[in-house]
Amino acid sequence: MEITKEEILTKTAEEYFHSGEDEFKRERHNSAVVLYFKSLVSLIDLFILQNTGNTPSSHTERFRITQENFPEIYDLLDKDFPFYQNSYFQIMSKELAEVVKNDAEIMAGKTEIEL
Amino acid sequence: MMQKLWQEKLKLNYSKSVFDIVQFGSSVIEGENPRDLDIAVIFHKIPLKEQLEQAQIIKKQLQKLIEIPIHVSSFDLYSLFESSNFAKENILFYGKSLVSKDYFAKKFGFSPRIQIFYSLKDLKKKDKIRFNYMLNGRKGEYGLLREYKGRLLCPGLIEVFPEHREIFVNSIKKITNSFKIINTLS
Repeated sequence: MEITKEEILTKTAEEYFHSGEDEFKRERHNSAVVLYFKSLVSLIDLFILQNTGNTPSSHTERFRITQENFPEIYDLLDKDFPFYQNSYFQIMSKELAEVVKNDAEIMAGKTEIEL
Repeated sequence: MMQKLWQEKLKLNYSKSVFDIVQFGSSVIEGENPRDLDIAVIFHKIPLKEQLEQAQIIKKQLQKLIEIPIHVSSFDLYSLFESSNFAKENILFYGKSLVSKDYFAKKFGFSPRIQIFYSLKDLKKKDKIRFNYMLNGRKGEYGLLREYKGRLLCPGLIEVFPEHREIFVNSIKKITNSFKIINTLS
């Protein structure tokens, strides 16, 4: 049986989140930020899928869809995206990792996913 | 074109936790054609989560005023100076405060300037004259020094505002490559 988009996004969100937790415990905060952010994005795509029936195919489309239809979620994405972009040349703090983790948890709540 | 947001009368709403809001990057440089505008929101010591949320609110207000995308970075007075903040020199040296309408560096008692040391020694006479016209003007036309409020400190040394760096450097390069630039905070 073919796996659905919803199942794929749920699986990736959970996997990235738990990998983020592992890295966080090891105090590898750059890796944790990236993984929590990837989990956040999977959950945002899942939310979009649940509410529109479609998924964005790029960051640009994801930004556009959320900005037009889900401004609260756009704010989360827009706030955290620069850290993901800069993660290869900036040192990420424990506090930042916790912020991005918290945002992923907020999206898990909105999509009714248990991380 | 240069985006002189810091010169605008902005009615921004922000909390007392904000130390300053600073425009920096290519959008403050005369002669550049920025594709986006960089803003640093500097906070007093408050939790990062609050910094990020407040910075988003400021970004939304600013984004309504200009068409190009705004990138907002948030710092507190500790993280601003951390070695991992690669933007700190740019913020401190070129940054313009949207709050005080002046250089951000002035908050710390400094005035940023660029000093350009040049030598005309090996130039032909006609190029020395061209150089002089470029700086001081001719036949009633303004030279770069008067137009951009630069100063000749002594023969071979001029001092200009940071945002005019490219204007001066590009003009000097057309005549000579014998020059050196030093950024100063005085």
